[in-house]
Amino acid sequence: MSFSHPQSRQTEDADALRGLVDPKQGWLDRSIFWDPAIYAVELERIFARSWIFVAHDTQVPNVGDFLTTYVGEDAVIVSRARDNKVHVFINSCSHRGNRVCFAEAGTARRFTCNFHGWSYGLDGALSGVTAEHLYKNNPTFDRKKLGLHKARVESYGGMHFANFDPDAPSLADYLGDFRWYLDIILDNDEGGIEFIDGNIKSRLKCNWKFPAENFIGDAYHATWTHSSALLALFGKVPEMHADRSYQVNANGHGWEFGTDFVGNAATLCEPEIVDYLRESEAMFQERLGKTRSRMVGSLSSATVFPNLSFLAGHNTFRTWNPKGPTETELHTWVFLNRNAPDALKEKYRRGVMLTFSPAGVFEMDDGENFEHCTASNAGVVTRRRKLHTGLGLGSEIDHPELKGHVHQNQINEANHRAFYQRWVDLMTAPIWADVPAR
Amino acid sequence: MDSSNTVEATVDAPLVDRDLAYAIEQFLYREARLLDGERYEEWLELMAEDIHYWMPGIQARYRADKVAKISLSRMAYFDDDLDYLRKRVERARQTTAWAEDPPTRHFHMVTNIEVQPTERPNEWTVHSLVFNLRHRNEAEQLELTARRRDLIRQEATGVLKIARRFIQLQQTVLQAKNINTFL
Repeated sequence: MSFSHPQSRQTEDADALRGLVDPKQGWLDRSIFWDPAIYAVELERIFARSWIFVAHDTQVPNVGDFLTTYVGEDAVIVSRARDNKVHVFINSCSHRGNRVCFAEAGTARRFTCNFHGWSYGLDGALSGVTAEHLYKNNPTFDRKKLGLHKARVESYGGMHFANFDPDAPSLADYLGDFRWYLDIILDNDEGGIEFIDGNIKSRLKCNWKFPAENFIGDAYHATWTHSSALLALFGKVPEMHADRSYQVNANGHGWEFGTDFVGNAATLCEPEIVDYLRESEAMFQERLGKTRSRMVGSLSSATVFPNLSFLAGHNTFRTWNPKGPTETELHTWVFLNRNAPDALKEKYRRGVMLTFSPAGVFEMDDGENFEHCTASNAGVVTRRRKLHTGLGLGSEIDHPELKGHVHQNQINEANHRAFYQRWVDLMTAPIWADVPAR
Repeated sequence: MDSSNTVEATVDAPLVDRDLAYAIEQFLYREARLLDGERYEEWLELMAEDIHYWMPGIQARYRADKVAKISLSRMAYFDDDLDYLRKRVERARQTTAWAEDPPTRHFHMVTNIEVQPTERPNEWTVHSLVFNLRHRNEAEQLELTARRRDLIRQEATGVLKIARRFIQLQQTVLQAKNINTFL
């Protein structure tokens, strides 16, 4: 498949893209995991227009603190400037395009390009030009217009997101009803959360959507793919209960969960974590109500569209950063409640390492799946057949309390379908106003 | 090692006895062959009861940055005691450990072994480099290079054990989907 330049926004492209996924019936064209032309449209229409998670507030606590990361394939600097606000801008000099920051984190007064010495303030504005007198009376040189390309930055519960589309809705509208669910993580304690120092980064040879869809709704794989880890740690695989578990989604963000309260947390093999959750249950109930309090550490997984995933109870956030149609860079963090006892920080850090990091006993078997799901699509004949993503068709229910679209039974692919509905909405919409609320 | 310089500084330690250095070299080579052969239970036997097996995440920070490039309080790939190491082996032993079947072809090369005395007569600091290749399935070849610093202890029985292992992976972004081996 080939497309005209994404920004030309031709209707025949939209028709072709629309034919790739059928979110109603659950069919996916395999080329969406392989085709460089489709990937190019994703970078333009999804990553350059969506709210992309870049940092938690506690990662850049003081003026001058920065980290470097990615929005799609665009390298960005996330920095706390003198106005005490978090700014996000493209990590590429306005002069020749060189990267202006090579450290992954640190503290700086400015970012200076190694090539000719142009320097930029903590807010991305051009602050210094070597031998600036050479540009005197130059008709096209305007310092004010030569700052680093800035993103809009908005935050929710201390989570900072960047967006490069001036026409995108606010982060609040973008998250929609999913904010009510994010509060389960971000607001179950008045102190909110903090990120533990450092993060683990790794490369997988897979399309970014496989892990994103895995976290949004694939409870189905948990007891099969991860049977080895579950048997090694517990001698058995946990049961999931159709009548007491759900998938919920809103605007393409989704969470699959049981109402078992501590199912995920227990797999960290650190009993003090489960003790802490049980001791805090009354507080969770008071802040979140009974229903949501049962999700604080339950068997579950979730994705905020397009590429921020998390595990409640395991207390890990991660992003799936695209590096071409068949490669993904995974960034993994550990978080915990800021008011939790200090000793617990160590428990979470080690527990996540043992389970959900590249050497972790659970994650070990995930990468293998994602890579081979991607690589098999090299075959032209292979790509002629679509993939079935129809588990749980017709499972939507009315629920008196849960927001968004609610589906009975966490073993379901309703959230996969909602993810691809949002995907195709964005891929085919010339402007944000054409993207329906879901 | 919490300094911002992540390569061990001591270069003027006195030489140890040649027989001792030979014994420790042979010990590390045999260990590597146990790992190549996935003989993990025998490998665990080489660990002291108080083993700290640590492979931290390393950060690319500027030279002038006083924050440690490696720290115990940061996320790590391994920060294990014997119990954690046993759990990892237990997973690899399950018939449903899909990432282990067909088996990975492991290759552990150990070199640049330096043995240095410590304050204790039965413990030595041992530096080494590890070059590891994992070959999987048809064409996968995953490469890991690491700088290691062990504390090797001779127990009362005369047996050598690994009491500390610090593994400094050279990649800040792991160029692999997983680490289904030990270094």
